[in-house]
Amino acid sequence: MTPFWFVVAALVAYGLAYFLYGRWYDRTVWKPDPKKTTPAHMYMDGVEFFPASRYVLWGYQFKSVAALGPILGPFIALQYGWLPALLWIIFGNFFIGWVQDYGAIMVSVRNQGRSFGPIAYEFTGSSGRNTLLGFILFYLLMISATFIFFIARFWNTLPGTFAGTVGVIITGVIVGQLMYKARLNVGWTTLIAVVLVALSVLLGLYLPMPVNAFGAWSVAFWAAVASIFLYVASILPLPTLIQPMNFVSFFPTFLAVILIIIGALLSPVFHIPLQQPAWKGFWSPASGPMWPMMFLAIACGAISGWHSLVGSSTTAKQLDLETDAHPVGAGAMLGEGLLALASLASYMVLTPDQTKVNVTAWVAGAEKLTMGFLGGQAAVPILQTYFGVALVLFAITVQALVTRFWRLVSAEIFGQGSFAVLGQKHVATFVGLLIAWLFAVSGSWNNLWLYFGGSNQLLAGLALMLITIHLARVKERTGVTFWPAMFMMVTTILGLIYQTYIFLKAVITQKTLVQPPLNQIHWAATTLDAIFTVVGVVLVVLGIRMAWMTLSSYQKAKAMPAAGVSQPASTGE
Amino acid sequence: MLFGRKRAEKDKTGATEAKPAEQAGKQGTGAILKDVLYGMAAHGNVTAALRTRMYMEHLFMFITLGDMLGIPVLPPYYSLRILPYAVPNIESWKQRVFRERDFTDALY
Repeated sequence: MTPFWFVVAALVAYGLAYFLYGRWYDRTVWKPDPKKTTPAHMYMDGVEFFPASRYVLWGYQFKSVAALGPILGPFIALQYGWLPALLWIIFGNFFIGWVQDYGAIMVSVRNQGRSFGPIAYEFTGSSGRNTLLGFILFYLLMISATFIFFIARFWNTLPGTFAGTVGVIITGVIVGQLMYKARLNVGWTTLIAVVLVALSVLLGLYLPMPVNAFGAWSVAFWAAVASIFLYVASILPLPTLIQPMNFVSFFPTFLAVILIIIGALLSPVFHIPLQQPAWKGFWSPASGPMWPMMFLAIACGAISGWHSLVGSSTTAKQLDLETDAHPVGAGAMLGEGLLALASLASYMVLTPDQTKVNVTAWVAGAEKLTMGFLGGQAAVPILQTYFGVALVLFAITVQALVTRFWRLVSAEIFGQGSFAVLGQKHVATFVGLLIAWLFAVSGSWNNLWLYFGGSNQLLAGLALMLITIHLARVKERTGVTFWPAMFMMVTTILGLIYQTYIFLKAVITQKTLVQPPLNQIHWAATTLDAIFTVVGVVLVVLGIRMAWMTLSSYQKAKAMPAAGVSQPASTGE
Repeated sequence: MLFGRKRAEKDKTGATEAKPAEQAGKQGTGAILKDVLYGMAAHGNVTAALRTRMYMEHLFMFITLGDMLGIPVLPPYYSLRILPYAVPNIESWKQRVFRERDFTDALY
């Protein structure tokens, strides 16, 4: 058996999700009206609110949501075998993932294009909004810790990736200057960007960094390098570094995804069989029981809270017609599911030994799937560098935005009062990166990833509840979002409780989960285990509080009359 | 040209008039591909640049027409000289400044 059939099965399943289930839900629940004025027209200011083509928004939404989650999540889920991972990526996306993305856009469109903060405020009051704010702060911390760890691990393990990444970053700076200062034509700028990115990959090939150059402290060193870069990126204005870097990173990252999908489709031609077992068991020694932990591990590939933040903060403000929400929201999420499946395929063709502890297995799988039509064995060194650089770029581009977002959330929380200094631009960024660096150096990446996945998917459950509250207020069918919301909230809260218990057990039994080198320093390891326990408790408490508030608001919304719900004015008829 | 004016003028006539869905759907494959690529690669870039310009425009408006908010930064003589150029932009400036903003608006 080859990965070909999985990609085909996913395309069929996602086709059914989009054309049958999606259209039914679209027509019977949200009933989008192309004659209704969307916030993009009503509040048009040419900056945040302006109508954009559905194809532009699909591309934007897909690019904004596709990051490391769907790539690394399936790797962790392989601890239970590929079959449960495959089923969750297909059915999770089918019944829950796209419903959340689409609903988040529609609920924002029907509430004057407001993002999730003000919507949470309206539906659950100021305490609900503040709880969400606190939850997002810890959620960002977990993303930062895991992503910084992975960036450092990739730089340390894949020799050509550091020089390649630096080359792409420098290309981003040059492209930014060419676009905004020299005002060079976008076509020429793009051509220059593509050539420089290709040269960056070659630079990585000919300038490899030694593996484990600093011994046990190598990951700590590379994590510090990544943190310094992220500090600079988040302090500078967006058009100076982050946005041009994202622009130039688009080309290598999405070419990599397309190549892997082509490789999976051509796998029968090149005789690339599956080598992983379909089922390994309900229990994983590293992560615990399959339910709920696998549903935490596959972050973003099946459902993700990040998507609702993106959809409501930007996409909904630029939707030309209400009817565009279905292709944009649902289409982008189903595309993300395809990315997760392509990543799963690249792990499935490797032997169990290759994927056991090697978090860079994605690169090895991508090489295996693509070398047949990209030059054979001779192309392996360049393919390894190329896919390695693409993997780092997937992580670093989103992490730069997350670091900046952390700074803004910190300013919101600590901006006034006794701790105002913590809201200051430089202090907030430094503190956030220092904590994330420390967490990353602990090496407990598997456990921290589960915290990240838990908070991410819990945020998705909360988003689904906000969508449900809106539907209850306008007296529409709520079952399609309410039950997935309940499933996600129960699963993720139980998963977070289990993970907190694992850290607590480590503190009590003195069998630390912290990895070398910090596990050699006993007090440091125990302190980190204790801190991770506290982080888990905070995530669980905030999550339960938010879940309770949304459920109470849902009950109230069901009882209240439909009148009084804000709706954009209709100009039709 | 003050910020946002060109686009606002361009779209003024059709601002509240939705396009028929079938008309919006009539787009060639090449144009669709171009839009998707633009959306993936450059749309975020363009909106970020627009926002940066928006903040600079806000600053400019506050400095030159601060009297409107009770903050006389510039002597009224110079404000009056600039006023004819700024008038078309005042409405959208007020709209942007008075709009409720939240931390979740600043994601990208």
